[in-house]
Order: sequence, then structure tokens, then C-alpha cells
Amino acid sequence: MKARNVNWIGLQTFISREVARMFRVWIQVLVAPWSSALLYIFIFGRIVGARIGLIENVAYIDFVLPGLVMLNLINSSFLHSSSSLYFMRFVKHIEELLVAPLSYLEMIVGFVCGGIIRGLVVGLGVYALALLFTIATIEHFLLFVFYSVSISMIFALLGMLVGLWAKNFEQLSLPSIFLITPLTFLGGMFNSITMMPQKLQFLMRLNPFFYFVDGLRYSMLGISESNLAIGLGLIAVLILTLGWLVWYLFKIGYRIRE
Amino acid sequence: MNEKALEINNLRKSYGAIDAVKGISLSIKRGEFFGFLGPNGAGKTTTIKCVTGIAVFQSGTIKVFGIDAVRDYREARKKIGLAPQEFNVDIFAKTRDILWYVGGFYGIPRELRKKRIEEILDKFELTVHAGKPFQQLSGGLKRRVMLARAMIHDPDLLILDEPTAGVDVEMRHDLWRYLQEMNKAGKTILLTSHYLEEVEMLCGRIAIINHGKIAAIGDKKDFIEGGHKLEHAYLEITRGEKNNESA
Repeated sequence: MKARNVNWIGLQTFISREVARMFRVWIQVLVAPWSSALLYIFIFGRIVGARIGLIENVAYIDFVLPGLVMLNLINSSFLHSSSSLYFMRFVKHIEELLVAPLSYLEMIVGFVCGGIIRGLVVGLGVYALALLFTIATIEHFLLFVFYSVSISMIFALLGMLVGLWAKNFEQLSLPSIFLITPLTFLGGMFNSITMMPQKLQFLMRLNPFFYFVDGLRYSMLGISESNLAIGLGLIAVLILTLGWLVWYLFKIGYRIRE
Repeated sequence: MNEKALEINNLRKSYGAIDAVKGISLSIKRGEFFGFLGPNGAGKTTTIKCVTGIAVFQSGTIKVFGIDAVRDYREARKKIGLAPQEFNVDIFAKTRDILWYVGGFYGIPRELRKKRIEEILDKFELTVHAGKPFQQLSGGLKRRVMLARAMIHDPDLLILDEPTAGVDVEMRHDLWRYLQEMNKAGKTILLTSHYLEEVEMLCGRIAIINHGKIAAIGDKKDFIEGGHKLEHAYLEITRGEKNNESA
């Protein structure tokens, strides 16, 4: 699609509507994850962390923080696009988009940008809260931005798949409960891979969330336990695969067109 | 300039094993006020959904002012304004915001959009309700918002699917006046309604769809000749088909 053929005003309007929708329920969207993160930082970072000592030569609070930022970033971008798309299907106001001169790609970009923005606002808010307790360095700023944006994008796309698939509100919450939170926790959010039993270390390396958490940790602390190239490759493959799948489902009208 | 506002050829649409539209063809001329009638489940709304892109159809072609509604769907959709039967809107959004966002989807620049929204709020007497969430409006006001939303990008073809359903008499008369004004201003209107007296009063040409097929199509005068009401012809056609099927 040529740039001049893009409905820029339509796209910008759609993104601004997604952002407005986010701030319409700001307690649920912002205050809830920030207050949970504050408790995590205080209890695990400050209280428990003081007794744990250094991990990989950094204070426990600093070691945990990238995982905490990642968890919130992932959850927020996923929840935004899944709930937005599902709600639009549920009340049928997705038809507002379908009858408008917007391409499938523009619709997808709109949902994904909404998810990325929410992920970044919540994730950076968690980082800002951590500054109350620690220095919270960012060693490689551009990598930090890259990991934050690309992983938000992956989970915004995944959220769209769930938003299309879900037939009720219960199904909408299942991936967050049974997939995202457990895999993030098991992906080295709270611990170094060396703290795991030898056999489980292999399993941890099969968990894609391990590479997400470790990549962000590297960008913030400069320490890494994974092969960063595998992580970058995984991110690229996931964005392309999920992006294509969402585009294809929109093209055939899966659960959005009759 | 294409003289046909809408041209449907051999349109087929099924939902699983159910054939909702069975190869209908019809055309509407530019500037016409066209009535599209039929019993519940006859295929009116399905046809409209196919025209506007809400439904995917199996075969046939749809052209809007000569533009293919599938191949050049973006250009075709710019020409259409839809006020659907159901309130397919973000119920928590305020009236002004609904118009603002939908105007944006159609690519209207900010300043022009602001001006257009004020004009349309005024036209539909919605200015005092502009700051209210959609869910807090009465049924009649909701209908007006749907109509305002359909008109925000000044479309050439207005498709109204039962726009007066659940609306009180006074409001219905207001809506009729708006629609007549729009038609006089050159807009082509496709109207579905179960209120046959309003179709008889407003429309110049009428089609009756039944069981997914066009059962009759023609000028209004063809349906009401001999001093009959439209309802008489409508019942004769739809019941006649029913009897034929029974036989």
C-alpha cells in the first residue's frame, strides 16, 4: 500500500479513540497495575530482597524490576487489544470500522498501537515507581525501547487473536491467567536461571518469556543469561507470524464480518 | 457521472445451510428515494450488510455509483452512509465523540470535522445532548444520533434500515421531514421499514423481497393503482408467495 493511499486521518482517529478508551477506565487500566507493582517492589524488592543479597552482582530489587516491568507491559498490551476488539464485537460497534474506508491493515495497526501505548504507559509507570526505592538504571536505552515496543506489539497481536476467538468474557481472561502470568513468572522474573535445578533450566530456555525478560534485563542492567540473538530472532518471528495471522483473519472476516 | 447509485447483480448470501439472499438483482438511480420491503427474515438487512461490507457474500456483484464494493471497497464506502437497525455504537461514548471519531474514520480533517459536527448536531436538534453518553439518550434521540452518524461524511447514498422503529409519532414526523430534505438536496435514499404508510409517503420506487428473492419491484404507482393502499399490494404479494409455496 502506498503511503498516499493510507487513510492517515482515519488511522490517527482510531488510535486516539483507543487511547481515550484507555483513560476512560483509568483506575482499572493504570491505578490497579501500578498499585500491584508497588506492592511487589516493596515486598519482594525492598523487604525480601534485603535478605537475599546480590544476584548476578546486582541488588535483588534491581534484578526483579525488569521482570516486573515486562509482566505489566505484556499484560497491559494484551488486555487492551483483546478487550477492545472483543467489546467491539460484543456490542457490534466493530461495524463502525467495517463500514468506514479503513483497510484491514489500518484497523490492525490501530488496535496494535492502542495496545503498545497502554503497555508503555503502564510499564514505564512501574519503572517510575521503582525509582522511589532504587536507582533503576537503563544501560542500553535504545535496546530498552526496542524490547518494550516489540514485546508490547507481540502481545497486542496475541490479544487481537484472543479478542477474535473469545465467545464470552470468561474466555477473554483465560490466556492472561493460564498463559501469560505463569510463563512470565517461570521465565526468570524473580530468579536467575542458575537458581533453578539443572533439569528445569532446559525447560526455562524453551520458554519464550525467558528471552523477553532477559532481553529487557540486559537493556536495563547490562547482564544477560540467554543468547540475545535467539531472543531477537524469536521476537521477529513472532511479530511476523502473529501479524500475518491477524491480517488473514481480518481479511476473511473471521468473527467480525457475517 | 454514473446514473446508478446502487447496482446489485445476482447477489447470493448464505449463513451455513441457510440461504438468506438467493441471487437478487436490483438497481437504484441517483437521487431516488427507494423503499425496500419484506417480512422479517426476508433478506433486507442481509442485503444491506453485503452492500456496506458488514457481511461477506458468496457470489454476485455490488456497485456503488459504478464503484465495485469489494474491489474498491474504500472508495465505495466513502459514498455510503448507514443507519442500521441495531444501535451498533459505543454506548459509553458521548454523542459528540461518536460523531468526531466516525468523521475521522472517513478522513475528514479536524477543522472541517468540527464545523460539520456542529452543523449536523444542529440539523438533528442534538446540540443540547452532545455531551451525553449514548446510553443515557431516549430511543428517539438514539435514532437521531444514528442518522447523524450516517450523515457525518455527507454521503451520496444513505441506507436506512428501519430508522423509525421504536420512535414516537412526533419524532417520526421529524425524521420524515429530514429525509425528504436530504432527498431534495440530491441524496439517494434506500429505506427499509415495516411502517408501510411511511414508505408509501416517502418512496418513489419500491422493491419487495421475500424468502431471499425479489418478489416485486416497480414504481410506487404500480403498487397502489386502483386506489389501493401499499399494504394491500404488499400482503397480496407476500401472502401469495406463501400460498404458492404451500401449494
